Amino acid sequence: MNEKNTKHILSILVDNEPGVLARVVGLFSGRGYNIESLSVSEVDSHKFLSRITIVTSGTKLIVDQIKAQLKKLIPVHDLEEISESKNFLGKELILIKLNVRKKSNIDIKRRLEKFSVEILVDNEVELIIQFAGTPIEITKLLNLLKPYKVIEQTRSGLVSMALGFNYIKK
Amino acid sequence: MKKISGARIVIETLIQENVKVIFGYPGGAVLPIYDELFKQNKIRHILVRHEQGAVHAAEGYARSTGKVGVVLVTSGPGATNTVTGLADAMMDSVPVVCISGQVPTHMIGNDAFQEADIVGITRPCTKHNYLVKNVEKLAGAIHSAFYIAKNGRPGPVLVDIPKDIQTFNSVYRGKRLTKRISYYKPNIKPKSDDIDRIVEMLKKSVKPIFYVGGGTVNSGLSASNHLHDIIKKTGFPCTQTLMGLGAFPTSDKQFIGMLGMHGTYEANMSMHQSDLLICVGARFDDRITGKVSGFSPKSKKIHLDIDSSSFNKSVNVDLTVQGDLGAILKLINERIQKKKIVFQKNKIKKWWDQINKWRGKNCLKFKNSNEIIKPQFAIQKLDQLTKEFEPFFTTEVGQHQMWAAQFLTFNKPKHWMTSGGLGTMGYGLPAAMGVQIAHPNSLVIDVAGEASILMNIQEMSTIKQYRLPVKVFILNNHYMGMVRQWQELLHGNRLSESYMDSLPDFVKLAESFGAVGLQITKPGDLDGLIKEMIKIKGPVICDVVVDPSENCFPMIPSGSSHNQMLLGPDDKMDGEISEEGMVLV
Ligand SMILES: Cc1cc2nc3c(=O)[nH]c(=O)nc-3n(C[C@H](O)[C@H](O)[C@H](O)COP(=O)(O)OP(=O)(O)OC[C@H]3O[C@@H](n4cnc5c(N)ncnc54)[C@H](O)[C@@H]3O)c2cc1C
Ligand SMILES: Cc1ncc(C[n+]2csc(CCOP(=O)(O)OP(=O)(O)O)c2C)c(N)n1
Ligand SMILES: [Mg+2]
Repeated sequence: MNEKNTKHILSILVDNEPGVLARVVGLFSGRGYNIESLSVSEVDSHKFLSRITIVTSGTKLIVDQIKAQLKKLIPVHDLEEISESKNFLGKELILIKLNVRKKSNIDIKRRLEKFSVEILVDNEVELIIQFAGTPIEITKLLNLLKPYKVIEQTRSGLVSMALGFNYIKK
Repeated sequence: MKKISGARIVIETLIQENVKVIFGYPGGAVLPIYDELFKQNKIRHILVRHEQGAVHAAEGYARSTGKVGVVLVTSGPGATNTVTGLADAMMDSVPVVCISGQVPTHMIGNDAFQEADIVGITRPCTKHNYLVKNVEKLAGAIHSAFYIAKNGRPGPVLVDIPKDIQTFNSVYRGKRLTKRISYYKPNIKPKSDDIDRIVEMLKKSVKPIFYVGGGTVNSGLSASNHLHDIIKKTGFPCTQTLMGLGAFPTSDKQFIGMLGMHGTYEANMSMHQSDLLICVGARFDDRITGKVSGFSPKSKKIHLDIDSSSFNKSVNVDLTVQGDLGAILKLINERIQKKKIVFQKNKIKKWWDQINKWRGKNCLKFKNSNEIIKPQFAIQKLDQLTKEFEPFFTTEVGQHQMWAAQFLTFNKPKHWMTSGGLGTMGYGLPAAMGVQIAHPNSLVIDVAGEASILMNIQEMSTIKQYRLPVKVFILNNHYMGMVRQWQELLHGNRLSESYMDSLPDFVKLAESFGAVGLQITKPGDLDGLIKEMIKIKGPVICDVVVDPSENCFPMIPSGSSHNQMLLGPDDKMDGEISEEGMVLV
């Protein structure tokens, strides 16, 4: 038996109807599974389908059980374990607000050059930047910004996609 | 086409689903539907006395017929009263559709009078549920609910209908033209290769055992018939779970008793020692496995089930086949036939010798008495004297339930209704009601405990109203016997709150509901009592006063393995129950 706890990325195609997220999240809490990250949005406005990406962790046995339980939910059309494919992408989006009243923002901007961040707001009091990247890249960015005054930050859940054409239905 | 009201659509859809009976209780939020019920005569409404009773009655109806049981209740308290019943149906895979009224759409979320978020409340205890906010989608939701309830692994589905939706008008085009759920296709076709592998494994085994569960009963008669063929052709032993009893005739020599916590010595030892375990529609419940690490350690395991989430949930298996058992067992049976495989009986002779040795322990034996009625003896008598009528049995929950499972004969599927997964006291009486509605001329008996029966005793009034000849057979031990047994075993015999004080006079109670009440205290009176009970045309409550101290054996103490059974009151555990075992339920 594979007893190691490992991370798994699940992509779930569901009916975009009221309560569907509650069903999915309720299944995780009710059965004691972990949700490390969650993101959801409509992907097909004609068929009213949303795609949920969940990062969870557990032994293989538990993750198989999670998948089987998810597939049993009636509004679930398709489920793919993205992390099972050889090549896949996983990105998060982060917005960071910095207090730049004291520090010169030229200094910050120079540091940020090697990251492809987008500067959304840049004035004499605050600097708001946007960055999309892998969770590791985001951590690196945050480390880099440690010396500065980060006022607030908000971060999306992971969105993920496998390479190739064998992807989740529609 | 003419537009009709939502309430009328409810009735029309139910008629198209071939619903003959619904169990319900009215209230403000379903009055339009009750009005439409009044105006028609295709569907019979049974007025229960508590909404929990309605769901259990629908379960009894469903499990004894294979059809979907239907419930109709009002919003708020009416709906919340169904929760235990729905959770029960969920655990035991019973197809039920529950229609609840809801406050009008514009008031939802306002803490309106008798508002409860029943869709939110029942999300984890239904297979699926709907809140219908558009009358155009009402018919589709109800037809989908029926489809979902009975296809795949069966279960309860709730449809919540706000009162304004019941009064709005829409066109109903009939089931075929209504947009219903289309992508839910749970009936997977088994793979042919897997069938070959199973047959190979059957051929090789020298210590095989069939472990048969409720899924076989669920699937229907064809599954039972093919299973019977296969068991006969192979000559293998068969054990059944509490939910499976009757899938294979329990009077057959190849049946070696129920397995699990209160299963027979031979069944549990065979599970423990076997080299091939074929699980047929059972789910490796913790009442079965005991300590998982000690569960059937030497066997290869095959699991046949319609629900892939049942696979490898608690026990790792070697081969899984997903699909309806009717189809899977048919394929196996035909493959054996086509390949002209003959199973050599002498290959498993040693195995049977061993099993018969275990059988020789006679693990269900008890010390009978001339003075006081032993509950086991009462059930044995009940079995003997009612067998010829092919009765339907329901039970409450407790020791009496286990004795019923151990001592009754079940030669046909769908004749045994008990709350296994949730273990709901109060299940048996309303379930018996539902069974009796479905089988008006059959003998229907609820084997009860004096504590459990009080949990839905109000249904005696329903039984009176519809003149249902349900028989209640109470094993009255003046204790919550099962609780007392655990307290004796695990809590130093401190009988905290398990004594049943201030019981009603069951004879007078029966009479007050227009039923016959009979009470006995002596073993010699059992025959007379049971014969009289059968003879009486109407409902009967039998108060059988039994030995208050009797315990249910064999028993695998919690946290132990199959080979660590307690066989009787004199059997002592090896040491204390482990801390791990103490926290188990
Ligand atoms: C006080 C008490 C004591 C108990 N003690 C025992 C005991 O000693 N022994 C015992 O056995 N039980 C006991 N139980 C019951 C126990 O809790 C479980 O309810 C029971 O063991 C489960 O039975 P099962 O495995 O047959 O599963 P069920 O709950 O009947 O599940 C059926 C399985 O079959 C599958 N299935 C359903 N329909 C189909 C189909 N058409 N085709 C294929 N597969 C299908 C389902 O997906 C599911 O996996 C006790 C209960 C109580 C209340
Ligand atoms: C609704 C509910 N509450 C509590 C329990 C816990 N419980 C299981 S068996 C039992 C005692 C049942 O007593 P009785 O009906 O007299 O049956 P006996 O065990 O004495 O045969 C109790 C309280 C339960 N199963 N269901
Ligand atoms: Mg009792």
